[in-house]
Amino acid sequence: MGRPSSLSRRAPGAPSRRNVLAGVGGLAAAGALAGGVAGCAAPQALSVGEGKTRLRYWHLFGGGDGINMQGMLDAFRAEHPQIGLEAATLQWGAPYYTKLGLAGAGGRAPEVAALHLARLAGFAPGRLLDPFDLGLLREFGVRPEEFPEGIWKRGAIEGKQYAVPLDTHPMVLFYNTEVCRKAGLLGDGGKLRPLEGARAFADALRAVKKVTGQPALVTETLGPGVIGPWRLFSTLYSQTGGRVLSEDGKTLALDDAKALVALEYMSMLVADGLAVKRVDYPGAVGVFNNGKTGFYLNGEWEISSFLATEMPFSMTRVPNLFGRATTQADCHAFVLPHQEDRGGESNRAAHAFVAWMLKHSVEWAKGGHVPAYLPTLKDPAYLALTPQSEYRTVVDDVVLDEPAWFAGSASPMWIELGAVFSGVLTGSRTPQNALAEAKKRLRTLLDTRNPFGDSRNAAGGASA
Amino acid sequence: MSAPVWEKDKQVRAKVRGTVKGEAAATGRRPRWTPGRVVMLVVALALVVVWVLPIAWAVATSLKPEGETTKTPLEWIGSTITFDAYQQVWESGDLGQWMFNSAYISVMTTLLTVVLCAMAAYGFARTDFRGRKVLYGLVLAGIMVPPQVLIAPLFAEMVTLGLVDTYWGVILPQVAVPAMVFILVKFFEGVPRELEEAAFVDGAGRWRVFWTIVMPLSRPILAAVAIFTFISTWNNFLWPFLVTTDPNGMTLPVGLVNVQSSYGVRYAQMMASVVIAGLPLLVVFAAFQRQIVRGVAHTGLAGQ
Amino acid sequence: MTVVDTHAAQPAAGPRPAPPAAGAPAVRVKRHWSEHGIVFVAPFLLVYAMFLVWPLVSGLGMSVRSENIAGTDAEFVGFDNYAEAIGDPDVWASLWNTVWFTVLSTVPLVLVGLVLALLAHHLRFVQWLWRLSWFAPFLLPSGVVGLLFLWVIFPSDFGFADQALAAVGLEPGIGWLTDERYAMLSVVLTTVWWTVGFNFLLYLAALQAIPAHLYEAAELDGAGSWQRLRHITLPMLARTTGVVVVLQVLASLKVFDQIYIMTGGGPDESTRPVLQYVYDAGFTGYRIGYASAVSYIFFALILTVSLAQLWLSRRNREENAR
Repeated sequence: MGRPSSLSRRAPGAPSRRNVLAGVGGLAAAGALAGGVAGCAAPQALSVGEGKTRLRYWHLFGGGDGINMQGMLDAFRAEHPQIGLEAATLQWGAPYYTKLGLAGAGGRAPEVAALHLARLAGFAPGRLLDPFDLGLLREFGVRPEEFPEGIWKRGAIEGKQYAVPLDTHPMVLFYNTEVCRKAGLLGDGGKLRPLEGARAFADALRAVKKVTGQPALVTETLGPGVIGPWRLFSTLYSQTGGRVLSEDGKTLALDDAKALVALEYMSMLVADGLAVKRVDYPGAVGVFNNGKTGFYLNGEWEISSFLATEMPFSMTRVPNLFGRATTQADCHAFVLPHQEDRGGESNRAAHAFVAWMLKHSVEWAKGGHVPAYLPTLKDPAYLALTPQSEYRTVVDDVVLDEPAWFAGSASPMWIELGAVFSGVLTGSRTPQNALAEAKKRLRTLLDTRNPFGDSRNAAGGASA
Repeated sequence: MSAPVWEKDKQVRAKVRGTVKGEAAATGRRPRWTPGRVVMLVVALALVVVWVLPIAWAVATSLKPEGETTKTPLEWIGSTITFDAYQQVWESGDLGQWMFNSAYISVMTTLLTVVLCAMAAYGFARTDFRGRKVLYGLVLAGIMVPPQVLIAPLFAEMVTLGLVDTYWGVILPQVAVPAMVFILVKFFEGVPRELEEAAFVDGAGRWRVFWTIVMPLSRPILAAVAIFTFISTWNNFLWPFLVTTDPNGMTLPVGLVNVQSSYGVRYAQMMASVVIAGLPLLVVFAAFQRQIVRGVAHTGLAGQ
Repeated sequence: MTVVDTHAAQPAAGPRPAPPAAGAPAVRVKRHWSEHGIVFVAPFLLVYAMFLVWPLVSGLGMSVRSENIAGTDAEFVGFDNYAEAIGDPDVWASLWNTVWFTVLSTVPLVLVGLVLALLAHHLRFVQWLWRLSWFAPFLLPSGVVGLLFLWVIFPSDFGFADQALAAVGLEPGIGWLTDERYAMLSVVLTTVWWTVGFNFLLYLAALQAIPAHLYEAAELDGAGSWQRLRHITLPMLARTTGVVVVLQVLASLKVFDQIYIMTGGGPDESTRPVLQYVYDAGFTGYRIGYASAVSYIFFALILTVSLAQLWLSRRNREENAR
């Protein structure tokens, strides 16, 4: 090496061989890229043993649902040693759907995933999702006739089945039996006496308030990405007979007069001190859990939080306040995210998995959800679950969002309108102002092209 | 004429090192305890407490039994001190996998950044070829392009290249950093040509001169670039967040935010994950405080 | 241009010496100077072209098409995306949030950074303690910082911040992240705690570069410590302050991580920065063509700040040269 001696003083030590090698290695890597070599994929989990079929399953179930799901997955694994099931729980809501969409776009999607049925229209069936093979499902013992027709049809687009429903999860009324008993609201058998009409419900709330000296009802009113107020509005508004969008999800159908009935009732609940004014989602759970209110309005899934404590409570359908006994809901469903090379053993395993989960959905129903698989709905084990089976009749009266690309759980519509109606509950918007703003935002959404084009956005079955 | 840049660099280092040892840089003598200084000390200590409290609270929460994490009024220590939460998150979660991903991605990115940028800087500073000025101008202009602006087209490109959910998909967009080239060009321009010439006379080629003379000579600045790159890659959120969807391929910060426990809100476990995830760089910092401080002060000004 | 001379912290730095080998020696050696040049820059340029230049160009193309994230349905729509973005109040709101965050965060980040550096510099001992406690948070990933503040510092009631208020006799129950009045401030507080250490280090380096003889001379003239601060330290830090402010503004304009993690842009989008709007539109909403258009509007904002800074610093230099 012709290294001048003068250098050795200034820069002690030549580069070690290792440094040079590392540098060369780096260059080689860059060179490999130049050749257009697709990078090595992130390491596949090592848990899949030799000869096992890899089955990746993504879902968004945390809390009590997460525990139930975990139990079912463990049971599935035990029964299917030949299938290497890798389950991932991603953050609920928009982040989950973003990841699922990006995975479909990136072509490395999991074999099977959970999806809210009302989001199907926006999830580009045929592009981000692959259709189910009904023959395979039948082979594993699951047939289309075994589901309520309405929600099964919601999973079909242009004659192909893209979603297989697992449950329906409506908004329900939780009530503290102790508080309600003191307020004289319980009938025979310790169940809440039926409340019929807006006035009867308000009177019941007043009766509770007299007992506790505090607001009688709690429901999520604010928070990041708040959607509780949208659920509440959707429920009350549907009871007046109104609908938000036309049946095909293409035009605005909001009825001003009916919407104002719902919004003014919401505004009254907080203005009269009948409902807690400023509370976020976990806060609302905590308030009801601590027995501070008699009533709690939310989806039935929160049952797990309360079963874990001593608090005496039960659940029932949301009372009929405005003429129809309907309530807002969505359905959890299974879908097959788009894979370039779907087929073979892993696709078979995905179908086997879906069928198995449906057949064992009594476990799932413990989390409060009403099973979509009709044989489960008649299963004595399900009927024995209380209070989970108390409100099962509600499945005939649930209202799902119209099939628009921007609708469904944690969709742009929910987040936009949730924020607007949050203002009605916290007092920062009048009902009129909220209605105007909601219509404006809905028009913007309707004016925005479906990013995946309209051709596939055909309406499935109407709201069940 | 003052000392050449590369000499000056040493002076700066000497200064920074001097202060590391706590030597007074402004005056040479030992300070007196005037009332003013006592007030300053009190204020400084109070600010230290403010800065340490959030981390201390995270640690305290992680050591409590889950049932006591949200108690009011606040208690620093629960009924017992337990490491259950650490054990649970380490066993049930993907923390180990994410930590490996982060380490692999950060090391590869740092290595590639240093090698690519140093070579390019040397080429621009020390060689001449057709279009050199134009190309260097193009690279400098890139300093004004924040990578965040490119997320949408870059993601589309990754889909086309099939690099979504791969390590290279995370690494490659982070390695061509124009600001680093600029810093290194400035440095190489200050290296006396005589050093290289002597080697050329001895028959060494350009390639060998670069690896055996210029690179070793540039160790301090390369270390600064490497440290800065490593820290920013380890902590980068937005790009890995977009380009990894599979939990197995996520980096530490992305996994923490995107993957939730199936068991609902568990404060102690969440804080245990936070502590575990925050620890590696803090340990590295404690070990290499001097180098890191220098590297950040040196590169930070140009590297943002 | 944001690049700043690395020795800017040294006011005493003389003109930049870049000694070219004047009167190059033998012809053989001369050939060496131009040999293989392209080989050295080619690998960098390849990666640079693929992952910076190309997306910059293809993004422009995408911004005039109705592209979705699966790469389908791409029709040419001219400037429709730009027109939609400019007419969209949400875009303006998010741009405003970004600017507002920048204003709110830059001032404390620079001032607190300066104060911390002055304290550490003048106390002169236990340097490791100051550095460890004030700079260490900068080394935490945004995910760690965001989750820490989201989960145990800012929750109402049992959160640390609320309990701290209660401890000093104030009313707890503040919706730190859930109340529109406080959410942005809480994000700024978090950001100051997290990143001020960087500015602290830059100031510290600058302070240590102030020649000691200036202070000695001032002391001989009988200047008190306050006067020394006003007449020597702060003027000597002026250039560094300029640099720190520019870096901070550019960094704050790119805010995304902590806001996304802590508030998701809420409540009611009152904290959503423009980068999150791009994410929401392009990645959550799959409209990647439209998102590209918004990106370019954002880019224009950043470019304006960068060029303004470049112009200002050039004018300053010319004035100084006079």
